[in-house]
Amino acid sequence: MRGGVWHRDTLAWLIVAATLPAAAGAIAGFGVAALEAMVWTLLAALGWQLVFLWTRAQPVSPIAVATAFAVGVLAAGDFQPWQMLLAASFGIVLGEQIFGGWGRNIINPAVATLAFLYFAFPATPVPTGGAPLALAVVPGALMLLVTGVLSWQLLLATLVGVMATSLAMDQAAGAVLSQGSALFGLVFLAGDPVASSATRPGRWFQGALAGVLLVLFGWHDGVFDGPRAVVLATLVASLFAPLIDAAVIAATIRSWRPPDA
Amino acid sequence: MRIVVRRGLTVPLKGAPASRVDRDIVPSRIGLLGDDLGHRRVEPLVEPGQPVLAGTPVLRDRADPDLLFCAPLSGRVERIETGRRRRLAALVIAADGEDQRRAFDVSRADDAWGLRALLLEAGQWPALRARPFERIAAPRTSPAAVFVTAIDTAPHAPDPRPLIQERGDHFARGLAAVRLLTDGPVFLCQAPGPPLSTGDAQLRVVDCAGPHPAGLVGTHIARLWLPRRGEVVWHIDYQDLIAIGHLLATGRIDPFRIVALSGPGSRDPRLVRAPQGADLHALVGPDAASGAKVILSGPVLAGRESAFLGRYHRQVTVLDRPPPRRTHWLLDALRQARRPAPFIPTQSLERTLGSTAPVVPLLRALSIGDVEAATRLGCLHLAEEDLALATYVTGGQTDFGRRLRAVLDHLEREA
Repeated sequence: MRGGVWHRDTLAWLIVAATLPAAAGAIAGFGVAALEAMVWTLLAALGWQLVFLWTRAQPVSPIAVATAFAVGVLAAGDFQPWQMLLAASFGIVLGEQIFGGWGRNIINPAVATLAFLYFAFPATPVPTGGAPLALAVVPGALMLLVTGVLSWQLLLATLVGVMATSLAMDQAAGAVLSQGSALFGLVFLAGDPVASSATRPGRWFQGALAGVLLVLFGWHDGVFDGPRAVVLATLVASLFAPLIDAAVIAATIRSWRPPDA
Repeated sequence: MRIVVRRGLTVPLKGAPASRVDRDIVPSRIGLLGDDLGHRRVEPLVEPGQPVLAGTPVLRDRADPDLLFCAPLSGRVERIETGRRRRLAALVIAADGEDQRRAFDVSRADDAWGLRALLLEAGQWPALRARPFERIAAPRTSPAAVFVTAIDTAPHAPDPRPLIQERGDHFARGLAAVRLLTDGPVFLCQAPGPPLSTGDAQLRVVDCAGPHPAGLVGTHIARLWLPRRGEVVWHIDYQDLIAIGHLLATGRIDPFRIVALSGPGSRDPRLVRAPQGADLHALVGPDAASGAKVILSGPVLAGRESAFLGRYHRQVTVLDRPPPRRTHWLLDALRQARRPAPFIPTQSLERTLGSTAPVVPLLRALSIGDVEAATRLGCLHLAEEDLALATYVTGGQTDFGRRLRAVLDHLEREA
């Protein structure tokens, strides 16, 4: 009784369930390429989880499935299997396992995988999902919001960031948010509970930062490139999260009763 | 004054106690537990078989010979159990049912030092606990502030207000006594409503509004008087305060406490008047529903499985014992390979602490045993009970209370 139901594995399955509609939408929209990306990523993730279980006794976690889904949605391009395996290995090991596994990582392993793919193989085009994919993201996002896995402050700040920057750049915010890949990234990558800011005020800053960067990185010659922009924006925002947290904590501690009269 | 905990968490639990108080409990056996002593090492002053009165000292602290622990009821010492590292595990007394209480001379208790001497002699001193570290207060020190906890927001806890009103004289007497112990402020923390006492420059009546962590003394300390470096604050709960008032008024100790007997495993959840250290099996046994049960001394989240009622517990929670789960070595290896497993921050985790401390960074520091970071983030004024909600919300994989105690032990050794 002393432990509630929100076990680590419960949360992982919950996130997997939330990503499921979007993953199905991606497979329906992008075809076999999305499925292949998911399968290769999942294989790499499971392999590395077992390696770290064996060598460092780190518990395996079903979150690998959600990571694979995210890579499938955002990297459904014409990548070779070895390219996928290499990128996924980089993402899983350096993004997650080396810090002690899911829960101690500072960036999302899917973000690390995707950033590696985009930088190492920039010539491979990546399809951007349209409004149907965006609609498929919505039920999962609502589910995570209701269960408190996704912070509503973070999501709201992201949306405000996107809208404010779009307004300042004289672009349509709707064009960004109706692009399935961008919305998927905002909800499941930028809103990742582990890699995002750990303090309540910090989440407002980090969410706004991710939203602003998404719009700034996305527009090229009148075309919005969702997948690359959302991955880079999330990567930068996650890397700033510890700095934001440190500032928030310093301000909080200063507001307490001073240690000396 | 008023503090409001806006974000709290209520744990749903069946079997809420009725508000009537059952005073017909005949205690058969009571136990003083080593778990309630913290790091103190005690030596027994009695032998098994020896008769004792209520108020006879039975244990003495080795480092502080003034600090005595007294028998709550008259009877005969049944056994003295020694636990790990030759510490006292339990001292069990078989009650004779005659309730003979030793008389104390209360005439000297009008000044601070006379009062201290009386509380120590009558075994009432351990009611006062000190933070940081959540230990029995050191007898020869003075606190920077005293917190009187007259609110309990744990699920199924007895409502303090009617119990205090019923014994208003003893409560007032105890409150006046506690004011002698410190030159600093005395905070009377109560549920919102008419003040339980009139405040003045020293006595500050504080309304604590909000759901669960609002009633924990850790919340009050963090909001009202965060101890500075080297400062110590004491706290005492309302029933112990009434018992001190009773001692001062009558010269005899009051070993009885009003305890909520509740939980889904209890057929007749109610309040009972039980002695300190009551035998929980005798207390619960007749009213337990069928099936295997867990009897917790204390509230559902922060309580511990115990044979006797803990010194500081005002609740007994009876839960159904979950059937043993079928396990497989491979699944176990995959699931719980390394402890503590990392936890996943969710929104409900933010609601588990009543203070403004950043919850997730604090829990991360505690779970990896980062003493320095945990101290900076405000773990010093916390105790195990303050982190019980966080343990619950993260699925019980990591016992943050125990991690906190490990950090506090480290700091205590350094200090």
